[in-house]
Amino acid sequence: MATARVATVPAKQVGAQSPGRPAPVARTRPRWRQAVTGWAFAAPFSVLFLVFMAVPVVASLVMSLTDLRATDLRHPFGVNFVGLDNYAKLFSDGLFRRAAVNTLIFVAIGVPLTIVTGLAAASALNSGLVRLRALFRVGFYLPVVTSIVAIAVIWRFLLDPGAGLVDNLLALVGIDGPNWLFDTSLALPSLIVMATWRNFGFLMVIFLAGLQSIPIHLYEAAKLDGAGRWQQFRHVTLPMLRPTLLFGGVVTGIGYLQLFEEPFVMTQGGPLSSTLSVSYHIYNQFGFGNYGYAAAASYVLFVAIVGLSLLQFRLLGSRD
Amino acid sequence: MSTVDAPVRGRDRAARAVLYAVLALGLLVVIGPFLWMLLSSFKPEAEIRQVPPTWWPEAPTLGNYRELFSRLDFPRYFLNSTLVAALVTLGNLVFCSAVGYALAKLRFPGRRGLFVVVLGMLMVPAMVTFVPQFVLVSNLGLTNTYAGLVLPFLAGPFGVFLMRQYLLSVPDDLIEAARVDGAGEFRIFWQVVLPLCGPALATLGILTFLASWNNFLWPLVVATTEDKYTLPVALALYSVGQNRTDFGLLLAGAVVVVLPVLVVFLVLQRQFLRGIATTGLK
Amino acid sequence: MRGKQRLGVAVVALAAIAMAGCGRGSGGGGEEAKSVGDGKATGEITVWAMGAEGEKLAAFAKQFSTENPGATVNVTAVPWDAAHQKIATAIAAKQTPDVSMIGTTWQGEFAKTGALDPTPNLIDKSAFFPGAWDTTVVNATSYAVPWYVETRLIYYRKDLAAQAGFMSAPKTWDELKAMAKAMQEKAGVKWGLSLQPGKTGSWQSVLPFAWSNGAEVATADKLSFDKPEVVEALAYYQSFFTEKISPTDLPDGTLEPDFVKGQIGAFVSGPWHVGLLNEQGGAGFSDKFAVAPMPTKKSSTSFIGGSNLAVFKDAKNRDSAWKFIAWLTKPEVQVKWYQTVNDLPAVQKSWDDPALSGDKFLPTFGAQLKSAKAPPAISTWEQVAAAFDIEVEKLAKAGQDPAATAKAVQTKADSIGTGG
Repeated sequence: MATARVATVPAKQVGAQSPGRPAPVARTRPRWRQAVTGWAFAAPFSVLFLVFMAVPVVASLVMSLTDLRATDLRHPFGVNFVGLDNYAKLFSDGLFRRAAVNTLIFVAIGVPLTIVTGLAAASALNSGLVRLRALFRVGFYLPVVTSIVAIAVIWRFLLDPGAGLVDNLLALVGIDGPNWLFDTSLALPSLIVMATWRNFGFLMVIFLAGLQSIPIHLYEAAKLDGAGRWQQFRHVTLPMLRPTLLFGGVVTGIGYLQLFEEPFVMTQGGPLSSTLSVSYHIYNQFGFGNYGYAAAASYVLFVAIVGLSLLQFRLLGSRD
Repeated sequence: MSTVDAPVRGRDRAARAVLYAVLALGLLVVIGPFLWMLLSSFKPEAEIRQVPPTWWPEAPTLGNYRELFSRLDFPRYFLNSTLVAALVTLGNLVFCSAVGYALAKLRFPGRRGLFVVVLGMLMVPAMVTFVPQFVLVSNLGLTNTYAGLVLPFLAGPFGVFLMRQYLLSVPDDLIEAARVDGAGEFRIFWQVVLPLCGPALATLGILTFLASWNNFLWPLVVATTEDKYTLPVALALYSVGQNRTDFGLLLAGAVVVVLPVLVVFLVLQRQFLRGIATTGLK
Repeated sequence: MRGKQRLGVAVVALAAIAMAGCGRGSGGGGEEAKSVGDGKATGEITVWAMGAEGEKLAAFAKQFSTENPGATVNVTAVPWDAAHQKIATAIAAKQTPDVSMIGTTWQGEFAKTGALDPTPNLIDKSAFFPGAWDTTVVNATSYAVPWYVETRLIYYRKDLAAQAGFMSAPKTWDELKAMAKAMQEKAGVKWGLSLQPGKTGSWQSVLPFAWSNGAEVATADKLSFDKPEVVEALAYYQSFFTEKISPTDLPDGTLEPDFVKGQIGAFVSGPWHVGLLNEQGGAGFSDKFAVAPMPTKKSSTSFIGGSNLAVFKDAKNRDSAWKFIAWLTKPEVQVKWYQTVNDLPAVQKSWDDPALSGDKFLPTFGAQLKSAKAPPAISTWEQVAAAFDIEVEKLAKAGQDPAATAKAVQTKADSIGTGG
């Protein structure tokens, strides 16, 4: 079985492309020249990045350690330094705890679901079996670009207990469909399905790019070894797709931990705060003008995002 | 990957049929809201609000579009949106591929740290940096300027991450071979590596364009006179009121806003379809 | 990474030094208004306005330029969606215009930033509806001028009510409930009265009942939700849900179609619904519905909202800005403005004009406006209101006890405070 990871560190195990060649790097180029080249490539980005992203982040971190409110915006330096008070207050805030639970459930189910759906769609469209690929590609991407207003109208209608499609279909098999969006235990799962539907196109596009870059000869070699389609998928596609899968997983995780639009438009966090997400709670707090508190909540969210990403890097990442 | 050269056996044909069926069903499911949005933009306000929603317009009208184009200074906002989105997309394509290449293939001190910082920035929730970013931009004198609309987005951590992951799977041998041939680093990047990145660049282009085109909050806050508004801001102006929403205008606006994105998608998709044929990684 | 570390240390150090020095900003009461110079307005006046007002104001203001040659009014239209954010951010970066439209519920927060200029004597407060003027006052100082107002009334299907035996508008709490029930039993209506079961803004439907029962609820210094009058009002509100007169899960956007179809007998809303219902119901529908003042318990008191106009302290053309606002709030100009965008005038005298007094529905709104109340302009109101909405949702949907609801709101309100 071919190992798919192409090593970037010299003298390590190399993939199937060049069996037997140890591939040394940097033997003919001086260290300092590489350093200069590296930074030359990275410089324009780094400057822009430092100014427009790093500085605001530091400022907002400091903000989270104060009791800054919107009313202090004209005199931001007059606020009180309260250390970790905002963070402590978060954990005794019942709404924040509820939002955290809701968000974690959403991510735990939503991320794998979206990845699998996106990968399935990308694989199907990449296989030579299907004509009209362009049509399907555009079609599956449409939810990503459709206005959230239109999506909300259609999904609200779909989930309507009286006139909606879902409950009418269920009635055909004799099940009395519930009022999805107004049921405290079903609203969140409904939003998970809706978010998956909305976002799998995004992942599909990314996975397609990854799939396109897998060299054909790997599949041919596998077929010569007698591998069937499923085995080809497991032993060639998945390993080669690892960096892309990692990317997809991390980006989706980041996005879903910051779930906001769906509950905002569909349920306004209800019913009874069962679909309140952490981002929505933060948005409300910014709206109330509790800038320091909201910033603290944002950085707690940040820690969660970092945690999830690290986990994914551990599972899917390169041995760099 | 292509299995087209394999003979189409009976089992293959059945598999194909099932696949088509599933995909077609899936297509219907995803296309639904988009179709409704499109069709409803031709309906009068009362019909749009009807429950259950109607599909085909009972009284089709161009009124929403007529109102949209007469009330909005459409060419101006369209131009602004196009300019900003194009600049941001181009900037990201150039800067992110350069940094992604450096992070994936070059070795320099601080490389690990830079990647961690960039990744970290990707993970900071967007809301929290908004006000400090605006204060910074206005202190730099960039409010109500195109520079203020574009600069904060030229360096996207998302793009760097995408390109780095993609570039990791470009085989080292090609680069080594070019180096051995005496090519300078920049030439290697421009002539050897970048052409291999068709699919990734197309993807990054599509996603960046989409994000920039639909950006609402930042242009709203940075522009202090209407001539710098982008399309989403202008549309919100006319469709969302204090107590009621004009759905007709909103949907017509949404259709108008989505069309360029779809065009970019189709064009770039074609580019990267062509990429398969030439990407013979042998 | 050393460079970055050094930068980080520098920023924190700077921040710490700066913070040790200055005190918190003032603003939010106790300020003396500066007077406005005599003579005509001159120069450029920059104005931010939302929605339809933003669209039409530029053309409308040309008349002001005619009366004040040398003065031009430059209007930037701002979308309602995120307007609050835009103004707050502009204040933070000191990039404010001369004048801006401000929602009544944002008043307290923006006044407290110290960014607003106190209203000068040029403007006569007695000309306005008292409830509207109160929305501009923070700690006995007024920081804006009411521009247009709105209030909430009971919309009901008068044809179905007649069928159910109610020939005139319901006047008391008991009458309202009786009419709603009768419409269900005798006129085939599914929901006699549709009330908002919690969620954002439900306080604007609930508080009128508390106010009508004599409860003060909120002043600039005190939030008193845990009072018997409030509990009584909450119990009355809840009874509509428990007695199945009001739905707890009405899907968005179905209110108007259902009202037109005769499935909903009545609901509570503001003046914008007149146009919406006429649009939805088509020709002749305006004969089928009517509006009634909030039913009386100890009084008939509704909620007053709308928008105010404020001048910023950083304004480049302060005097002319105030003169522009004075012009906009002249009774004749308010009437003309109503005829342009259908905004109800905040100036009482305008209501004598036939354009308003001759309308089918407007006089009822005008009468209610005289006594309508608004919450105090405190900087924490939005947060208190949100807590209130959450408890009302539990009251309506989960059957939470009214006394417990009032207590829960009081506890939360106490911890939030009045921001003073």
